[in-house]
Amino acid sequence: MNNKELFTKMEQSIINYDKDEAVRLAKMALEKGIDPTKAVDEGFVKGIQTVGDLFSREEIFLPELVMGAEAMTAATDILEEAIKKSGGKAKYLAKGVAGTVQGDIHDIGIRLVTTFLVANGFDIVFLGANISSSLFVEKAKELKPDLILLSALLTTTMPNQKEVIDSLKEAGIRENVKVLVGGAPISQDWADQIGADGYGENASAAVKVAKKLIGV
Amino acid sequence: MIKLEEGRASIQPIKSKLKVSVLDDEDIKKINQAALSILEEVGVLFPSEKALKIFADAKANVDFDKKIVKIPSHLVADYLKKAPRHYTLAGRRPELDAKIGGENGTYFYCSGEAPNVVDLETGERRRSIKSDVENMAKIADYFPIISLVWPTVSAGDKGETAPIHGVEACFNNTEKHVQTESVMDEISAKYTIEMASVIAGGRDKLREKPIYSLLLCAIAPLAQDRGGIESALAFAEAGLPVGLMSMPTIGLSAPPYQAGALATGLAEDLSGCVLTQIAYPGTPNFITIQPAIINPRSGDYFYGSPFSQIASVAAVQLAHSNGLPVTSQFSFGGNAYKLNSWQVGIENVYGHLLSVMAGADMSFGPSGLIEAVTLLDMARILFDREIFQAIDIITKGIEVNDDTLAFDMIREVGPRGMFLGQKRTANELPKLWPPSILFEKSKLAEEKYRNPVEVAHEVIDWVLKNHHPAPLDENVQQELRKIVAAADRDENLKREIRGGR
Repeated sequence: MNNKELFTKMEQSIINYDKDEAVRLAKMALEKGIDPTKAVDEGFVKGIQTVGDLFSREEIFLPELVMGAEAMTAATDILEEAIKKSGGKAKYLAKGVAGTVQGDIHDIGIRLVTTFLVANGFDIVFLGANISSSLFVEKAKELKPDLILLSALLTTTMPNQKEVIDSLKEAGIRENVKVLVGGAPISQDWADQIGADGYGENASAAVKVAKKLIGV
Repeated sequence: MIKLEEGRASIQPIKSKLKVSVLDDEDIKKINQAALSILEEVGVLFPSEKALKIFADAKANVDFDKKIVKIPSHLVADYLKKAPRHYTLAGRRPELDAKIGGENGTYFYCSGEAPNVVDLETGERRRSIKSDVENMAKIADYFPIISLVWPTVSAGDKGETAPIHGVEACFNNTEKHVQTESVMDEISAKYTIEMASVIAGGRDKLREKPIYSLLLCAIAPLAQDRGGIESALAFAEAGLPVGLMSMPTIGLSAPPYQAGALATGLAEDLSGCVLTQIAYPGTPNFITIQPAIINPRSGDYFYGSPFSQIASVAAVQLAHSNGLPVTSQFSFGGNAYKLNSWQVGIENVYGHLLSVMAGADMSFGPSGLIEAVTLLDMARILFDREIFQAIDIITKGIEVNDDTLAFDMIREVGPRGMFLGQKRTANELPKLWPPSILFEKSKLAEEKYRNPVEVAHEVIDWVLKNHHPAPLDENVQQELRKIVAAADRDENLKREIRGGR
């Protein structure tokens, strides 16, 4: 199989929502010594772009989008280490770090937002639930993301979104990143009040806001 | 126009003559069996050392590392037997006691807890504050259709102790039973239970007449909140009723089938009931399963789907088959804000109608809440009230007897005659035209009836100006203030709520 054929198969594995196949092909690329950045850009990303297009044309729904994004993430997780070592940079739209704020373990919403963003060509590191402000800052310093996405479901944990923003300021890195907030009790007013850069009322709105913030 | 008359609070459950069943016996058996299998084989996450230990001591299968509890079916059966089918959610007077599990019909809540409110003066939406909770409790105190009161909005100006302030606001502005869903940690639970105890006249009296209770919401799928579970244990220790709620989103946090969502929901609820029965046998429990659907395009949470609402009605039968009282149906529209939007109306009519007919012990009811419980529009309570008035009328069915068949009247009036001028018509017709905000005659030439939204606002203004809920004794109010002030100063509490543990 030549590289072109391999890249086509990679693209197809995402379009078929075949996580196992995507992982197998990613490993094959490593074994063959293929440039991992090319594998992502010319193989898997093309697949997720097709999935994203089908979704925006309303030919598929969320479950397919999630399956496509999961296959994509599984493949890129395999290739990430190799991409870092090679000093390459895959053609993602932007990089983001996402999680729910400290004290809040309701993460299903932010997981969905992460999926939408991945399906739209973002590289998102999902930190999980109940993430302290200091961990958000630490990851922001380490990964240098373009975006930080903060979720809160409870009125009692919402203030931690402000705490993360304040912590980024204290660390002197607030200007380096755009902060998006979301969650059931969150509103545009709240986002403005705490100095967030954007607010999305649902997963697809979050993608629109994220794209606007990075200038796409 | 509805009658506006100042008076002491009263409650009016709706008892249905009409009956509906969604599930047959075989369906109920299968869902129950599925829930038991889930509890035994899949388990529920309890991220609380306290709860894990309670389950382990009772011989459930506990994985302390993963914090998963698997409960054998025989344990579920044994412990559920201890939960009472009948008990009282007490008000401050016996006339306001909601007798749960009896034959009185369905008692309605005004629920919550929204973070935003439509400002009564400006009509703009803003974040809610404590005075909004106070106003809403007063409104709830006034309308008989509301039997049970939650803080409907968050006391957003009070920071971490907002839930405690919310409960205080309710205690001070209604004589009806107060329930909370936002006291989600043990420390806050103890402060609010102390307040209830002061009002009741001591811990023993509070246990005898529980004027306060908790509803704990699980985290679908199959998980509990640590603070929430420990709060529930505090309520149960005080002898106060503890309800368990599941809010599965079909297709997201539950299988893409109503039956599967009911099974996971029931498992979540029963896991909490069993915990309280192990720790404090005889705790009054109730359950509720409130499914929603995920919008397959936007990912929005959408409650107002007929698929999810009929599932909530089915939950009534599931609860009763497990010997537990049940709360059914929410009262909030999908995402439409406009008061007079038809979408907001239809979503609330059939769901509640069916729940009442299914024999729900309680139902979330007139709350003025919309946009998936994130926005309170107080005037909308009048709109909700119209719906419940219609449900009351419909579910009473039709009275058929010699009087109502009126043969003698028919014979007297005869062919092509008119019934309007009859004395019996004069007596009966007003009963067929109950007070409503919908048919208020307009003074304007171009409209027949006044905009009901305006009429609704007028009613709310009147209630807020003229209704004075019977106040607590001044020394009790003072004691409550002291307790709340202590909570406000409690650094441990702040750390607990902000997740700093």
